[in-house]
Amino acid sequence: MAPRIQNPIGSNSLLPYLSSSSTSSSFTPLSSRSQRSCRSFSSTIVPQTRLRNQMFLWLQHQAAELKHHKPGSTNYLSQIIPGSLFPESRPFPQNIHYRSESILSEELRREIHHRVVVRKKSVRAVSVELKVDMRRVAAVVRLVELEKRMTQEGKPLALPYARAIHEMVPTTPLYDQELRAHEEINDLPVHRLTNPQIFYPVSESRQFNRVDAGRVFSAAPALEQEQAAKDAADDSEFISRITQNPSHIEVVGKGEDEHQVLQPADVRIPHPHMISSRRAQNLVPQERTEHPKIYRAHLQKAEEAEQERKRRSEERKGKQTQRVQPEDSRFEFRINDVVVSQETTGKDGRNARAPGRRYGVPSYDRKKGQVKIPTRVEV
Amino acid sequence: MRNRATQYLSKPKVRQSWSKWNLYNLSRARIKSPMHRTHFQQKWDAKSATRAYHGEQVSEKQWARMFSPRLRSVVPMNPVIMARDDGSKWSAGRGQGRETIMDLRQHAKPVPFGQATYAPLERRLDVAVFRAMFASSARQARQFVIHGAVTVNGKKMRYPGYLLNPGDLFQVEPERVMFATGAPKDKHDRREIRHAQKKEAAEKEAAEKAAAEEEAATEESKEEEETKEKQQENLSPRATLRKLLGQAKTILTKDQAVLPAKRKQDLRGFQKAVRRVLSRSESSTVLTDNLEAQFSELTLLLKAKKRPSKKTEEEVKAEETTPAESSATATDATDATDATKATKATETTPREAIKAASEADSEAQPDDELSEAFRQAAQNPERDVDTSLLSEEQFNILRRALVQMRDNPIDHSKPYATPWRPRDYMNCFATIPRYLEVHPKVCAAVYLRHPVVRPGASEIPSPFATSTGDLAFTWYLRRR
Repeated sequence: MAPRIQNPIGSNSLLPYLSSSSTSSSFTPLSSRSQRSCRSFSSTIVPQTRLRNQMFLWLQHQAAELKHHKPGSTNYLSQIIPGSLFPESRPFPQNIHYRSESILSEELRREIHHRVVVRKKSVRAVSVELKVDMRRVAAVVRLVELEKRMTQEGKPLALPYARAIHEMVPTTPLYDQELRAHEEINDLPVHRLTNPQIFYPVSESRQFNRVDAGRVFSAAPALEQEQAAKDAADDSEFISRITQNPSHIEVVGKGEDEHQVLQPADVRIPHPHMISSRRAQNLVPQERTEHPKIYRAHLQKAEEAEQERKRRSEERKGKQTQRVQPEDSRFEFRINDVVVSQETTGKDGRNARAPGRRYGVPSYDRKKGQVKIPTRVEV
Repeated sequence: MRNRATQYLSKPKVRQSWSKWNLYNLSRARIKSPMHRTHFQQKWDAKSATRAYHGEQVSEKQWARMFSPRLRSVVPMNPVIMARDDGSKWSAGRGQGRETIMDLRQHAKPVPFGQATYAPLERRLDVAVFRAMFASSARQARQFVIHGAVTVNGKKMRYPGYLLNPGDLFQVEPERVMFATGAPKDKHDRREIRHAQKKEAAEKEAAEKAAAEEEAATEESKEEEETKEKQQENLSPRATLRKLLGQAKTILTKDQAVLPAKRKQDLRGFQKAVRRVLSRSESSTVLTDNLEAQFSELTLLLKAKKRPSKKTEEEVKAEETTPAESSATATDATDATDATKATKATETTPREAIKAASEADSEAQPDDELSEAFRQAAQNPERDVDTSLLSEEQFNILRRALVQMRDNPIDHSKPYATPWRPRDYMNCFATIPRYLEVHPKVCAAVYLRHPVVRPGASEIPSPFATSTGDLAFTWYLRRR
C-alpha cells in the first residue's frame, strides 16, 4: 500500500489532497477557538470547571503530539510519560504485560493467499514457512476471498480507513520471517490436569520422561517396560500414531471421571512433525543436504494423514445423513436419524442435548429468563 | 439500559472508548494506595476500577455467571530443544533438574494470570467489534450490532451478547466503520450539506410542477393512444412500467455528473409520473386498461430523454479511451464505475479549490506547478494533463493524489468529514490483539481462538496492572 498523503485541515494548502509531507506541525490547534466561539457576544467568562480547564490544557500542551498519528510508527500515551519502558509498543502505560503486537502487512497477506490458493500448498506448510499460526493462515485466505468477492460485486471498501490502520498499528513485513517471526506457531495450551502440583518419588535409575509425567498427571498406571522401550526407540512412529488417531488414546478413570491419558507435549503442539523430523535429522548430523528432504517427507506424511482423516470423517457424516433434493426445488433436505443413547442423554438421561420428550425432563424453553441468544451460526 | 459509560473528571474511570476524555482519564487514573486499605477494600477497588472498563455494558449478575476460575494460558514450545531429549533431564538429580536447567528456569518469566480475569468478555460480539477497531467505543459497537450492521458468518446477528466461537467471521458495514472512526464534520461541511438540501428541495418542487403538467398531458392524450397500444407489448402493463422506472433510475444514477440539470428534472418528473400510475393501479383494477395507453406515451417520453444521455455516455467512454496513457487520470480510471466516481469527486473539488485558494495566504503552498497540474486534472479529467513541467517525484505525488482522490473523494452526503481522515486521538488506542485476524479493507475479522496469557505477556487489552487483575480475580472467586 502506498504511503498516504496527509491532508491537514488547518493548513493553508490549496487542495486537500496535496500538501507538504511534514504532517503534525502543520495542524493548528482548534480547541482554543472552539472554546470561545460559541459565545462571541457575551462578556461573561465561560463557566468551566477547574478540572475541565486542566484537561484542555493537558490536551493542548502535553498531549498535543498525540492528536494525529505518525505514519509508520505508533503514537501511544506511554510516549509522553517520562521513564516508561518500550513506549512504542505499550498503549496502556500501567500494564507492562500488554504489548501492541504487529498485524500482517498487505504483502504478507497476499503472499499467504497466493501460496495456499494458487500454489496449492497446505495450510500447515505455509504456516511453518511464514511463521504464522495455522488458524490465522486459514482466516487470511477466507478474508482475502471475501475481499475479492466484494470487489467483484462492486461493493464499497473502506480503503482510506484500511490505509490509516496500517499506518497506526505495527505491521510484519514480508521477507523478514527468518529474522523475526510473526508469532509463535508452537504454542502448547496448558492442560487442566497439569494445574495441581504432584510429589511423585522416582528412583534415580529410572528415565522419567514427558510421557511418564503425563501419565502421572492423569493418574494412569506407569507404562509396561517393553511398551515404553518401543516408544522410546521409534518416537516418530509414536508421534504419528497419536496425532493421526486421537480417538484411540488410552482412557483411564471410571464414570464421570473418565478421561484420556494426558499426552506429552511432543504430540500436543500444533506442529509435531517439526519434532519428529528434527530428531531424524539429528540422527544424521553430517549429511546436511539430506535434512530438507527428511523434513519434507515428515511434512508430507502429516499432510496425508490429515487428508485421510478428513475424508473418513466426511464419509461417516455422509453415511449418517440422507440427502433429498426434490425436483425444481431450491432446497436440499438433510435428514439425520434421531439418536437417543447414553452419549446424547447423558448418564442420568436428563441431558438437554438429546431430542424428544423424556419422562421427568421438563423443557424450560418458555420459562422466564431463559436466554435465547444463538450459540453458533452455521454457514 | 442506562448509559453509565459517561466520562467523569472528578472520579476518573477508564472506559472502552477512544474519546479524548478517556485518554485524559487513562493518563491520570490511579488505584488507591493499598497501604491503608484492608484486603477487602483493595479487592473492591480493583473490581470497581476494572469493571468500569471490562464489560461495563454487561450487568454484574451476567458477568458473575460468565466468570470462570479457569484461566487459559499457553506456553511456547521450541521443537529444536524438544527434539534433543525426552524430558528426562528435568527429572534428573533430585527431581528438580540439573543446575544448568535451574538457570533456565530462573530466566522463565511468570505468567500474568491476573490479566486473564476478564478474558471471557472478549468473546462477546460487541467487545470483539470494538477490539477489531470497527467502532470507537464498546457502546457504539453494541449499537452497530443492535441496529443490524454486523453479520456473523454472513448472517445478520442482532445480539451484542452473542459469544463468538473460534473461526467465526464477523463483518461490519464499511460505511458505519468509516463513520465511527472518521473525523466528524466541521461547521463548513455542515453548511455545505444545508445548501445541498435546500437546492434539492427547490428541485423537487420544480419537478413536482413538471410532473403535474405531464400528468395533465397524459390524461388528454389517453384516448388517442388506446387504439394502438394493444399490439405493442405482451408484457403486463405493470411489469413494463416497473422496467421503465428502473431504466430511468439507472440513467439518473449512472450519469448524474454528465446530465444537465434540465434533463435531470425531466427524468425525475417522468419517474414520479410512473410511480403515481403504479400506485393507482395497485389500488384499483379498473384503471389497468388506461394504463396501457399511458405507458406507450411514457416510452416515447423516455426514449426522447434517453438519446441525449446515451450520447453523453458514449462521449465519456470515447474520451476515456483516447487520451494518452501517460496521463495520470487515465491510468487510474480503469473501469467505468471508477470513472464516474472520479468525475463525481472532481465536480466538487474545483469549488473547494477555489474556496481554499481565496482563503489561502501565500505561505505554505505546495509547488505551484504541481498544484496547477492537479487542478487541471481535477477540473477536466478527460483531457490530457500537461505534465511536462513536473519532475519525476512531483509526477508521482500527483498520481498518488489522484488515486487518493478517487478512493477518498469529497462527498458531502457522507456523515463524516470528507476526505476521510482518522478521528483525533484514535492512534493512542490503535492496537489489534492477536486472537483476532482483522481485514480492515472489508471491515471483517475472524475470531481465531479464545484469548490467552503466556509467560511474560498477555493478549487481552487492559489498562490495568496484573496485580489489579489478581485482586479482581479473587473478588470474583467469592471467598471474600
